[in-house]
Amino acid sequence: MMRKVYLHARCELHSGDPEPDYRSLFSVLEARRMGRLLKRAVWTSTQALQQAGIGVPDAVIIGTDFGCIENSESFLKALKGIDDAPLRPTHFMQSTHNTISSLIAIRLGAHGYNATYSHRGRSFESALQDAWTQIALGDIDNALVGWFDEMTPLLSDSLVRQGIEPKEHALAVVLSANPEGAVSELTPSDF
Amino acid sequence: METAIHITGAGVVSAIGCGQGETLDALRRGLSGIGPVRYLRTSETLFPAGEVKLSNAELAALSGASPDLSRTSLMGILALREALEEAGLSSLEGIPLVSGTTVGGMDLTEQTFPAYSPLHDCGASTEAIAAHFGGAPWATTLSTACSSAANAVIFGANLIRSGQAEMVAVGGSESLSDFHLHGFGSLMILDTAPCRPFDATRAGLNLGEGAAFLILESGESLRRRGVKPLARLAGFGNACDAFHQTASSENGEGAFLAMQKALRMAGLRPEDIDYVNAHGTGTPNNDASESAALRRIFGEIIPPVSSTKAFTGHTTSASGTIESVFCLLALQQGFIPANLNWQEPDSSCIVPSAGGAASLQHILCNAFGFGGNDSSLLFSR
Repeated sequence: MMRKVYLHARCELHSGDPEPDYRSLFSVLEARRMGRLLKRAVWTSTQALQQAGIGVPDAVIIGTDFGCIENSESFLKALKGIDDAPLRPTHFMQSTHNTISSLIAIRLGAHGYNATYSHRGRSFESALQDAWTQIALGDIDNALVGWFDEMTPLLSDSLVRQGIEPKEHALAVVLSANPEGAVSELTPSDF
Repeated sequence: METAIHITGAGVVSAIGCGQGETLDALRRGLSGIGPVRYLRTSETLFPAGEVKLSNAELAALSGASPDLSRTSLMGILALREALEEAGLSSLEGIPLVSGTTVGGMDLTEQTFPAYSPLHDCGASTEAIAAHFGGAPWATTLSTACSSAANAVIFGANLIRSGQAEMVAVGGSESLSDFHLHGFGSLMILDTAPCRPFDATRAGLNLGEGAAFLILESGESLRRRGVKPLARLAGFGNACDAFHQTASSENGEGAFLAMQKALRMAGLRPEDIDYVNAHGTGTPNNDASESAALRRIFGEIIPPVSSTKAFTGHTTSASGTIESVFCLLALQQGFIPANLNWQEPDSSCIVPSAGGAASLQHILCNAFGFGGNDSSLLFSR
């Protein structure tokens, strides 16, 4: 018997939105080490979980088309000698797409299911589908699902030339099997 | 698990061979595929690697695909073709494709960068594989670093358990790239000598590459099609170490939770496990952390454990299913692959198996990734 799945909270930052005040979340040193995308991801996730009244979610599932592309580019630039900069391990570490979900898990102490989908046009939908499936099956009771993407001038130009609209995403939602206080039901037609 | 998940096809490409036949032969004879870099265009020549011994042109000729595809897609096509054929299928008609990769088409991007065109993101490499087989009803891509393919298996199994699919093609593919060879180098976790998982002198990992796919199928579909399963996926676990972006915790919390979940789901006790194919990368940190987790799960009596990374190198995102295919071969043929290059015991590590004939019923297969993305798959005969 499959359970119903409900949307409980939603927090989104649009590309043009001013950056939130991160001082309540990060120390100056932490904030300096983290790119804008990671900061937005932690902020929206924290807000959504607070709205839903959940401290540590059963699962953290993220969709991202390009991951922390800024870091990937920095590492590529150093690799190709485009920048005079040395190869920095932090850029490499934060170039893997799952760096977002793992950072959120580390900050929340979330030891449950953790996954990242990277499939342009289906990244967020896959994350929703994964969360829906596990809640419906009864494997987990709730999940934090996010959609995070940043744009760089290089990537944005390239997308435009190929007729693809460059888009940034910073969206966190909380799904749960609990119908109480739900905003709406999530069904397979949503992904 | 209430719904049985059957495996009806498997395909594999790695440094030790193309296809299950070559793979089995190398595993039985203890032949490693690690050596100096020959195929990858790189300025980094210090570190040996487990390359697939075929150029892109040769991979393309073997698969009938365009040599312009990324190496990730080319290897994926070869592996998926073998899996589909074994399952008695010729296309992905009606079969969703769930693949795992992190590098995607970086092997091509790093050659054209700062130009991105055409895009070689993770999803594009999966779509290219699907297109080769006439397209899938839908496809998606897991990107959880070195556990990507294992997590593709888990998502695929959940699609079947929840009735969203009767058959799913799951796996992963990852080619070597100059990008991640330098990346792992910058983290100072590569060994200049062949890797030695669980050995006291271990000094890092060797990178590898390859692809492997499995066809997962529901019992009903199996009976309707009249095909015989190779084995069952009896359980699985995905947990997060939530400790550090690249390092593993001392007590192996994520690994422990992943194995524990897999056992619970399968309704098995630790003593039912006949063999563990460890993640065992050969880095001081991973092997100690994984050993701690194994000791927590199994207590005093640890079943035979081996890492096959000294055969293939660490095939990163593809390792979860490449090593799953090794486990399926071990189950069917009744042997344990050796933990090559192990000589000196380390008190912080388990003592790995030297391999050999064994009657196997239940196997755990571990795949752990950066960010603490730890997964464990449980296969049963």
